[in-house]
Amino acid sequence: MGTAIVMTSGKGGVGKTTTTANVSTALALLGKKVCMVDADIGLRNLDVVMGLENRIIYDIVDVANGDCRLEQALIRDKRFEHLVLLPAAQTKDKRALSVEKMVELVNELKRSFDFVMIDCPAGIEEGFRVAVAPADMAIVVTTPEHTAVRDADRVLGLLERDKVGEPRLIVNRIRPDMVKRGDMLDIDEIVQVLGCDLLGVIPDDERVIRNSNRGEPVVLDTAVPAATAYRNIARRILGESVPLMHLEEKSGLWGRFRKWVGGR
Amino acid sequence: MILESEPLMDHRPPVTVKGTREGLTFLLDERADVERVCAYLETLITGETGKLFEGPTVDVYVDYGKRTLTPQETWRILDVFRKRDNFLVRAWGSTPEARDASRRYHDARAQHIYHGLVRSGQPLSFDGDVVIIGDVNPSAVVEATGDIYVFGRLLGIAHAGVGGDETAIVAAAEFAPMQIRIADVVSRAPQMRATMEYAYLEGREMRVAEMKYFLPWHKLRKRSGREERR
Repeated sequence: MGTAIVMTSGKGGVGKTTTTANVSTALALLGKKVCMVDADIGLRNLDVVMGLENRIIYDIVDVANGDCRLEQALIRDKRFEHLVLLPAAQTKDKRALSVEKMVELVNELKRSFDFVMIDCPAGIEEGFRVAVAPADMAIVVTTPEHTAVRDADRVLGLLERDKVGEPRLIVNRIRPDMVKRGDMLDIDEIVQVLGCDLLGVIPDDERVIRNSNRGEPVVLDTAVPAATAYRNIARRILGESVPLMHLEEKSGLWGRFRKWVGGR
Repeated sequence: MILESEPLMDHRPPVTVKGTREGLTFLLDERADVERVCAYLETLITGETGKLFEGPTVDVYVDYGKRTLTPQETWRILDVFRKRDNFLVRAWGSTPEARDASRRYHDARAQHIYHGLVRSGQPLSFDGDVVIIGDVNPSAVVEATGDIYVFGRLLGIAHAGVGGDETAIVAAAEFAPMQIRIADVVSRAPQMRATMEYAYLEGREMRVAEMKYFLPWHKLRKRSGREERR
């Protein structure tokens, strides 16, 4: 029986989809069987980031409505045999999927995959409830901005109310130079406000966006520090204690990052 | 099979005496028969136990609860109290005043302790005073009819004295609220982050002071009859 992980944030545009794609790919790199579920019905993106949009025939709503079998809707990744995507519908909206159907679907996927990664839509309405309902664990993605932290706080409150596992935090798009100048919230501050375990920190890097546009998750490019950050997150999900102790991790990451910035 | 059953109530004496700093408070059972109350009271203060009440003049507060007494019954009971010449009946009635005399030194206000982080969009309200052990995050709201004490960082909105108590305060270990409301007065917080401070109303104006000045202020507040309020 696998684990269902929902990737959520409250605020839009903080990198839920990119993080889902990269963490899922990193888990696949580590030899796990992973299924990504795009729960953002009507605004599907995950297929684009994975470069799989031209292979979609059936989607999650078709499966829920019984128009096709689950296996028919699953799209195998180009690079990894045991990484698949269950795409969202583009023509329907979030009401097309009920909580019960979603739970049933994810439970079925959990039987054949080690991880079911659910990409949650932004907001805290129906779509959020549907995406969160089947999750065993939640990862909250935020960026070092007050708006994103505020929404992450709200989402954490909702996750705690619904007793969704122990939510863990990813701080995305951190810019050490800005933090140093005091122009950006630092990680300690974010972690203190949100009061939850830190799963990882992703440095801001334009190559993440470039690779997403090409449909190739950045995690495959070992030269990019962000890729290492994603891989570390995957290893931590598997229970490995990658020099976590987030202070150490921070200095290590920052050290490396500073070197990289300075070296240019 | 129960052969001889007695109402449980009868096991309780029809009169309870409480000694307070102010004097003695007699709480008369509102369900007991007047004759029974008088008989019990008479034995209590003039019988063997009467010695306990000897001494200098003592203030006596009598609370007969919710019962309705006829003038005759009133005199019947008061006559019993007159049997002790060192008793000075200061309050007679079912008014809170009589009961307050026994409660004055235990705070009768409800008090709450909330453990945990108060997150944005998670409204919390309490009847009475509340102590929050944890942070109040930005845009989270805590409301209480009494005081709010935050053992942690107050970064959100605190509303003390909901319902109109202008003597309520908001205090925090780290005081950096987005907004403070006391009764119906709203104030934006000072821009700086301060430690161990509290906000209170002076007239209709909100003030912030260091927590080390709280005790003298609190004594003043108590003296101005805060305990009458519940």
